[in-house]
Amino acid sequence: MRLRALLVQPVTLGLVLAAAAGVLLGEWFFAQAQDELLAERQEREVVMQAMAFADLVAAVEKAAQAGAPPLALLASEWAARHGEIAAIRVVRAGDALLLASTDPKDARPQPPPRRLERGEKRLYDLGQELRANVETNAAEGVFRKKQVDVARLNRAALRVSVPYAVGGRVVGFVQVEQRVGAPPAPPAAGRTAVAIAAPLGLFLLVARLFRGRAPAAGRPWVQYGIAVLFLGAALYGAARDGLADLDTRQELFAAELAQHYVAIKGEVQAAAATHALAVEAVTDNRWDVDDYQRPRAVIGGDGTIARAALAAELDARDTRVARSLWGNAGLSLLVLSFVALGYARRLRLTLVAHKTAYYYVTPAVLGMLVLVFYPFAYGVTLSFTDTTLFNENLALRELWVGFTNYLVILGDYQVLRSTEGGWVVNYQNFYWTLFITIAWTVCNVAIGVSVGLVLALALNTKGLRFSNVYRVLLILPWAIPNYITALTWRGMFHKQYGVINQVIQMFGGEPVSWFDNVFTSFLTGIATNGWLSFPFMMVITLGGLQSIPQDAYEAARVEGANRWQQFRHITLPYLRPTLIPAIIISVVWTFNMFNIIYLVSGGEPAGSNEILITQAYKIAFEKYQYGYAAAYSVVIFMILMVYGVFQNRVTRATEAIA
Amino acid sequence: MRRTGEEQRRHVALHLALIAFTLLAVYPILWVITLAFSGGQSLVVVDLPAEPGFVDRLRSVLPWPKTVSLKNFVDVLVDEPFGRWLLNSAIVAGATTVLGVFLACTAAYAFSRFRFPGRRSGMMMFLVSQMFPGTLMMVPLFIIIVKWLHLGNTYTGLVLVYAVTSIPFCVWMLKGYFDTIPMEIEESAIMDGATPAMIFFRIILPLAKPAVAVTALFSFMTGWNEFILASIFMEEEVAYTAPVGLRFFVGGFTAQWGYFAAGSIIISLPVVALFYYLQKYLIAGLTAGGVKG
Repeated sequence: MRLRALLVQPVTLGLVLAAAAGVLLGEWFFAQAQDELLAERQEREVVMQAMAFADLVAAVEKAAQAGAPPLALLASEWAARHGEIAAIRVVRAGDALLLASTDPKDARPQPPPRRLERGEKRLYDLGQELRANVETNAAEGVFRKKQVDVARLNRAALRVSVPYAVGGRVVGFVQVEQRVGAPPAPPAAGRTAVAIAAPLGLFLLVARLFRGRAPAAGRPWVQYGIAVLFLGAALYGAARDGLADLDTRQELFAAELAQHYVAIKGEVQAAAATHALAVEAVTDNRWDVDDYQRPRAVIGGDGTIARAALAAELDARDTRVARSLWGNAGLSLLVLSFVALGYARRLRLTLVAHKTAYYYVTPAVLGMLVLVFYPFAYGVTLSFTDTTLFNENLALRELWVGFTNYLVILGDYQVLRSTEGGWVVNYQNFYWTLFITIAWTVCNVAIGVSVGLVLALALNTKGLRFSNVYRVLLILPWAIPNYITALTWRGMFHKQYGVINQVIQMFGGEPVSWFDNVFTSFLTGIATNGWLSFPFMMVITLGGLQSIPQDAYEAARVEGANRWQQFRHITLPYLRPTLIPAIIISVVWTFNMFNIIYLVSGGEPAGSNEILITQAYKIAFEKYQYGYAAAYSVVIFMILMVYGVFQNRVTRATEAIA
Repeated sequence: MRRTGEEQRRHVALHLALIAFTLLAVYPILWVITLAFSGGQSLVVVDLPAEPGFVDRLRSVLPWPKTVSLKNFVDVLVDEPFGRWLLNSAIVAGATTVLGVFLACTAAYAFSRFRFPGRRSGMMMFLVSQMFPGTLMMVPLFIIIVKWLHLGNTYTGLVLVYAVTSIPFCVWMLKGYFDTIPMEIEESAIMDGATPAMIFFRIILPLAKPAVAVTALFSFMTGWNEFILASIFMEEEVAYTAPVGLRFFVGGFTAQWGYFAAGSIIISLPVVALFYYLQKYLIAGLTAGGVKG
């Protein structure tokens, strides 16, 4: 076989593509891991600083006597020794005091120590949160809440807040803002090139060597097998090399951190000596801690590195990266098989054979994939996490909670709670909202259908004059954008000035505060939606009525049937094929009628009148629980799907697709 | 048909009932018009005395302003940034219409005229996507449009999302219409040497004018009336669309009902006009869609 002919072989092509995909994606994983490693090293450095300084602060707070040096002095001395520190703040959370700060911006309205301003509520909140977290963890004996707050201000600056305790109780926290350097990760271009080129070269070599000698070598399955082997070897080699790089770098970082630790330890001792502070004697390393303030045990109290602990850390990290790499290998195997076993060719042939059709559908399908199906898949993924506004920058894998959201939504049957004042409905409960949604849908569709039907029958009366005028006027509510309708009706239900209360007072009644009561609030939505939904039903029914043959009625009259019998046995059966699809579609519309609920009653009072879709919106955009809201929406989708299957059965819609 | 006087007399009660109901049905609209022309910002068009009687109250709910003035219309267009918001809406809705009609027509034509692998599943997927709850899509769409594509505060972002979300409905409706156009027309065109593109643009689209018009109306209404995604994507006040802006008049702390009413009328007029113009097709499309899916 000639080289060129060999290169366009499916197996060779598949091997190239698979190796390229696998290695490049693998390099991306390594780059991520390197970044994570660097970020961790930077965080640990700043956390150590903060923890060490927190010990000094605790000592000052504990002394609490005339001779103790002001914290401001300690902070400025500390900051002066570390050029990379941008600011140190000390906050005593309990009484909302800013004890010290080296940030010139904090000197207004007056230099610390002073009370926290309204604009500094975040600091106060952070203090409360850290204290609560420490206490929760201590009470539960489980490390669940983070005791160290790390915020990345930008690529090159970190802000770390650690609580400090006096007499075993957390009283405040120390916050350090620090610039961090970013040494570049070692380049891996050589590895990439070798890992892509090597398997291909080997494969071609083998193919040439065995040309004509072993007939088996020409068989596609054998070629495929060899290609898989070489691909595996290349990916394995690249992975080993990449992991070794990571290990070397982490060991280097550990050594750097150890040096840093020794330096800080010296500083703390010096500061304690100068200011005559009783800092607790440090024998083990209590400053190099994880998010839960548990010592990491890699750097010992005297600055030596514990080899076993470091090896454990390396192993844990390697396992994590390896897991991504395995997925990656599976993906490239898929690419190889897809191309090498001829699926790609078949796909290409199909595409070519129906070229015109695919040209026509591509724009729409592409748009749908990017802006409908991908967001849907993303949303479903979100529903398995506890993503909120505050942690949305974290990787989804770290926020993974499995089916927890669904269990919380569907597994909470406590709709009614017994209190001293009697039974109380939990309006946030899913089943209450579902109940309201069903009541809302049923009422609205019933009103729409009956009003529409009656009006259509009236307008269809034989010989009725001006029926076109009525028709045109009665359609108006449908033509107007429904959010305008909703806002208008909200105005009409206004307690003091709304026309509805004016009319009630006109006849001597008391004004009703419509949105303060579950039932009246529900009525406002029904009235508004009824108003805008009857024209649709009316128009549909009119169309249906006009298609009923008149001789059916004449025959009935001859038989002596009365009006009701005519309606029951001729009109309704003839209307069925038009009415049922209209009802089906309006059920879906009403079920998802976001605008009316959201704009008229807003779910008042206390969220009791939310329907599922508005509740999901509020969870996402008022409580910012994106993951929970996504799970809520998936449940809505499931309900609609079940309904869709049911409706499909009713209308036998599947036949229409063929 | 000749009507007898006796028959008309029987209809008097029916007419009375219909007039009463029609008045009830158009009352909110009359009320908005009254507010708009009242020149004031209050929800009541007359000042009620301290102890209002029956007549005072009746006067206050009658949709007739004390003074008629165009002040609200002028103010809302000149003083408020509402004119800018209207322009934004017009651009977004116009572009959505063009893009939406293009995407829907091409896809519907393929689904109607060609038999290709993936056709059935593609149409099924379009249908199922109609049931995706909007709330599930909002956060991901925000991430894609604003964070990844950096299209926040731009027309492009909104237009893309609106045009694509209107595709499934439009495709189903158009496909139904294309199916009714006989194949023979195209076959004879092919005999005359027409290319597929020529058939599509010169024969099919002109024949399907009514359905294309409804598609256009639907896409236009999507772009013109939507306010939730618009309020999420458009953070700068200057980039608001009219519906987002309109809510500001009566949401929040101020209640400028006069501006709201005038703005509502300005926004509603084009939609209502289009609606009446195309309603016959719209209803046909809706019922066809309902029967099929």
